[in-house]
Amino acid sequence: MVERESPLGAAFRPGRHGNLSAGPGLRISEVTPSGIAEAAAWPGMKAALAEVISSVTALSLSAEPNTGDVGPESSAFSIGPQRFLVTGGADLPARLAAALPLEIGTVTDLSHGRTAIRIEGARAGWVLSKLFAIDFHAEAFPLTEGRATVHHDIFAQIQRISPNGFDIYVFRSFARAFWLELCEAAEEVGYEVAG
Amino acid sequence: MSARRATGGGLIDRSQPIRFTFDGKTYTGYAGDTLASALLANGVTLVGRSFKYHRPRGIFTAGIDEPNALVTVLKDGVREPNIPATGIEIYDGLTAESQNRFPSLEFDLAAVNQLAGPLFSAGFYYKTFMGPVIGPLKGTRFWMFCEHFIRRAAGLGRAGYEKDPVRYEKMNAFCDVLVVGAGPAGLMAATEAAKAGKRVILAEQDPRLGGSANWSGEEIGGKKATEWAEVKAAELTALDNVQILTRTTVWGYYDGNNLAAIERVTDHLPAAPIGVPRHRHWSIRAGTVVLATGALERPLVFPGNDRPGVMLAGAAERYAREFGVLPGEKIAVFTNNDSAYRAAAALKEAGAAIVAIIDVRPEISPAARALAEQAGIAPLTGHAVTDTVGKRLTKVMVQHFDAATGRLSGDPRPIEADCLVVSGGWSPAIHLASQAGGAPVWDGKLQAFLPPEPNQKWVGAGAFTGALTTAEALSTGRDAGLKATGKKASRVKLPEVAAPALDPFPAAVFEIKAKGKAFVDLQHDVTADDVRLAHREGFVSVEHLKRYTTLGMATDQGKTSNVPGLAIMADARGLPIEKVGTTRFRPPFSPISIGSLAAERHWRFKPDRLTPMHDWHVKRRARMMEAGLWHRPMIYGEPGETVEQAYAREAAAVRRSVGICDVSTLGKIAVKGPDAAGFLDHVYTNVFSTLPVGKARYGLMLREDGIAFDDGTTWRLGEHEFLMTTTTANAGKVMQHLEYYLDVVWPQLKVHVTSVTDQWAGAAVAGPNARKVLQACVTGTAVDNETLPHMGIVHGEIAGAPVMICRLSFSGELAYEVYCGAGHGRHVWEALMAAGEPFGITPYGLEALGALRIEKGHVTGAEIDGRTTARDLYLDWMLSKKKPFIGSALMDREGQIDWSRLRLVGVISLDGRPLGGGAHIVEKADGNGLGTSIGHVTASCYSPALQKYIGLALVRGGKARHGTRAFLSDPLRKRFGQVEIVSHHFFDPEGKRLHG
Repeated sequence: MVERESPLGAAFRPGRHGNLSAGPGLRISEVTPSGIAEAAAWPGMKAALAEVISSVTALSLSAEPNTGDVGPESSAFSIGPQRFLVTGGADLPARLAAALPLEIGTVTDLSHGRTAIRIEGARAGWVLSKLFAIDFHAEAFPLTEGRATVHHDIFAQIQRISPNGFDIYVFRSFARAFWLELCEAAEEVGYEVAG
Repeated sequence: MSARRATGGGLIDRSQPIRFTFDGKTYTGYAGDTLASALLANGVTLVGRSFKYHRPRGIFTAGIDEPNALVTVLKDGVREPNIPATGIEIYDGLTAESQNRFPSLEFDLAAVNQLAGPLFSAGFYYKTFMGPVIGPLKGTRFWMFCEHFIRRAAGLGRAGYEKDPVRYEKMNAFCDVLVVGAGPAGLMAATEAAKAGKRVILAEQDPRLGGSANWSGEEIGGKKATEWAEVKAAELTALDNVQILTRTTVWGYYDGNNLAAIERVTDHLPAAPIGVPRHRHWSIRAGTVVLATGALERPLVFPGNDRPGVMLAGAAERYAREFGVLPGEKIAVFTNNDSAYRAAAALKEAGAAIVAIIDVRPEISPAARALAEQAGIAPLTGHAVTDTVGKRLTKVMVQHFDAATGRLSGDPRPIEADCLVVSGGWSPAIHLASQAGGAPVWDGKLQAFLPPEPNQKWVGAGAFTGALTTAEALSTGRDAGLKATGKKASRVKLPEVAAPALDPFPAAVFEIKAKGKAFVDLQHDVTADDVRLAHREGFVSVEHLKRYTTLGMATDQGKTSNVPGLAIMADARGLPIEKVGTTRFRPPFSPISIGSLAAERHWRFKPDRLTPMHDWHVKRRARMMEAGLWHRPMIYGEPGETVEQAYAREAAAVRRSVGICDVSTLGKIAVKGPDAAGFLDHVYTNVFSTLPVGKARYGLMLREDGIAFDDGTTWRLGEHEFLMTTTTANAGKVMQHLEYYLDVVWPQLKVHVTSVTDQWAGAAVAGPNARKVLQACVTGTAVDNETLPHMGIVHGEIAGAPVMICRLSFSGELAYEVYCGAGHGRHVWEALMAAGEPFGITPYGLEALGALRIEKGHVTGAEIDGRTTARDLYLDWMLSKKKPFIGSALMDREGQIDWSRLRLVGVISLDGRPLGGGAHIVEKADGNGLGTSIGHVTASCYSPALQKYIGLALVRGGKARHGTRAFLSDPLRKRFGQVEIVSHHFFDPEGKRLHG
């Protein structure tokens, strides 16, 4: 199989950067999964869709807004009414499409269309608050939940994957611009780009 | 020497001396000093020149309300003017300059303006420079003559032209309770809310929490007030649910409890640490806001009240207690209320001699009298200051005064003083509440405007509410915190306050009417006489008063002048102040940097959107151009080639052999669901439900009003699955259009639309040898004419990467669009380049793409411009008569089918020179090449196929003009010439070439 090329190009510079007076406050990495799919249900079918996703990925999902789950191989979170973003192995979109009857909804493969950037560390919420007008406090944005939001012109879907960790999914074509903005925002607290 | 550093006291760190420069001279202050306090400590009392008259001015306040002491700070190679010295924390190397003076602050030539004072009264500009020219010194022409000199002579500081190199940032914050102001009231409110478990943000504009506790000299909870504030601050800092923002001014209160604040992160540092911004703009979404913004002291208006050495009493108290600075050696106090007595006692305690306390009131409270005794002086009640004397203050003139009638009596007598501290009462800082909505309410006892009833979720506390004592601040602060939490029982014990029982209500005296210039607005040189002149000339509304006199304008926004100005207008009108009203406050509360508003968007107004092959293009030395957010190759120029030569070469290569173009930017939308085909029948003018799986069709969309909206091909990938392509420019709009119809108009349709623009990399391979290139690299499928006919779709692999190929043509040649996963885009592109090498495959950019499509007469956004119909573009063959579609109801309105509409034609330059897009077509040109326009050129190029300059145009009559001649008229570019109007199908009109 042909390896997928990262959109980050030369902007991806492994190592420590920014203000390291207190050590890097963050770790940033590209973590685009092999398989990314958007699964959408018809009105009233979100719970059924959640069940199908759970059956394929072993994740625990509900029909509640913002719901999500993170597993060792997969993750999923609600990105809007009746819609989930589901990640996993390269065959995930096909397996999901096969498992989802047309009566419940549809699956769209976005494996190449989205880039996932992970930001982890005590200052993750602080740095992301520079870019997004959403509340990153754990009470407002609990573990495993997702949010669909925007940074200026860049649409982003964000999942909290740990108390201080977030995966940010952006359109591939914007990934390099977003990466550079994220790194710039993180300079204040120092950051490490994981190679 | 007048002002000096006191031998002890203050919250400054005397172990940390700091050197700074003012007007080229080096001084020393201490950590914790402001520039104002440090200058006073060094005996510098003249710090600026006034706006209009260039009168010498000193330091008047100790905070953001400063009207006089505006300076220019030079830092990081940038001049930043009009910064109040009272808000600048000194640091080693700070360099500041005074402003609005030439050649020096001490000797300012423009001070001659004072002699022409009567000329520069209110309305001077309107009266002198507006209207018709009457005589030599009137009217707009005179203004044009004078403007240069006036602008040099009047004004504040001068900004530089250098690019600001420092960083600014934005920050978003959310909280249950935002407490604005960290004085005693704010500290109590924050503590109460925090102890109830609420998420609290406490914003304080000063570097230190505590507000008035830092200079009141009172005791709270058995401790010095400063110590109590320190303990409270430490308690709050230790809590996880409290975020404390010092050096942060909340300057805007918007709808939905959305507040704006500016944090001055590194202004107090010699240099910013890596990545740390200078200013941070905060957008704070608060559940409830506690406004504990305190009160601002007002001056009294009397002749000579602007002389260096005159200062607000509260400011003098603050300099003495917070900074250990005496603003003078022999200090006189002039007041209409008790609070100045506390200042007198503080100044005495710090080492100054109080030479007089002049009080307009006939009687004062016992507590005030006791403070006067502490200050070592018997107050002169029933007196007023009628003038001041000295370049820098040396004397004040005092006279008997009747507060009830405002009359002076007896002879004025001098009192020697080098400093006069003044208090005219206190005005609650209600600016944010006013911004939140509602008219301020006049309080006759306090002689001040109080906040309106809240119409957003805010609660007031402390002096903001008109409760001026510290005990009231603590209790109202606690109550506000409690109310913000929605709890009933407080978790915070109210501390005892040991403070003099001062009378909070001032006498209703704002002005002492005596001979001489008495300033109301020190920053804009507006005098009491100016206000009265405005009244005489009919500008009696407060809004007109402000605009006619400029009272309350400029950087301080009238913080010290608004109420005295209104009082003088009320007096002139014979009305009570509440009947005269007040202007509303608008953001910002105090000046903010434009940089903080732009923040990371400075010089970066939009993100770069890159295709998967972007780096290849750059490496290939393509000249890139912006197309919306996208970066696309314009040409792949060879050394020495012009743009025209490059695109002509590229387009010719496509016609001759084969070319390759990055079309990844085309909008791509997955349309899925059992109703997908029917939905597309609604959306497009032509039918898609009959399209077989594995085939594509060109489609046209109209807007609801029948105007053409967008075009593109849509591919049927499955029975219930389509891939819609849109123009690059309209991808977002089409997506919104589809979502709107699915959500609002036809919610019953089971259709999902998802943007997959970024999922697919696209390469157009076009030219007579295009099929051979594919045959050389595609596996897993044949690409011959049988397997892949025009508008057919196949799936295969190129160099191991899955691809989807559709045979369609924008260039008019045999052509294919090869789609692959975006992550494989460069890999597939390079494989296509390698396969095309034997055929001389040529990458081509947007210019060549444009030339090829113009030769074919294909339309783009230049022709689908929001004004043209399908018929205008001769696309009426796409208007289905078998079904309704969006726009079908209105597309045949009379005006849409009128004969005179502009319709698509081709134009050929007859003089062998280029045609310009946007140039007019005129039927008959006069001697200057001008005439009545019959249309305009939409796109133009040099056509390598025709070897002529050609263009597409929208011309009245369209086809009917084929074969006629007209003129190109482009006066902006001075391009005139004859053109021939022809069919827009310039090249291969039968379409033979695309069938190979």
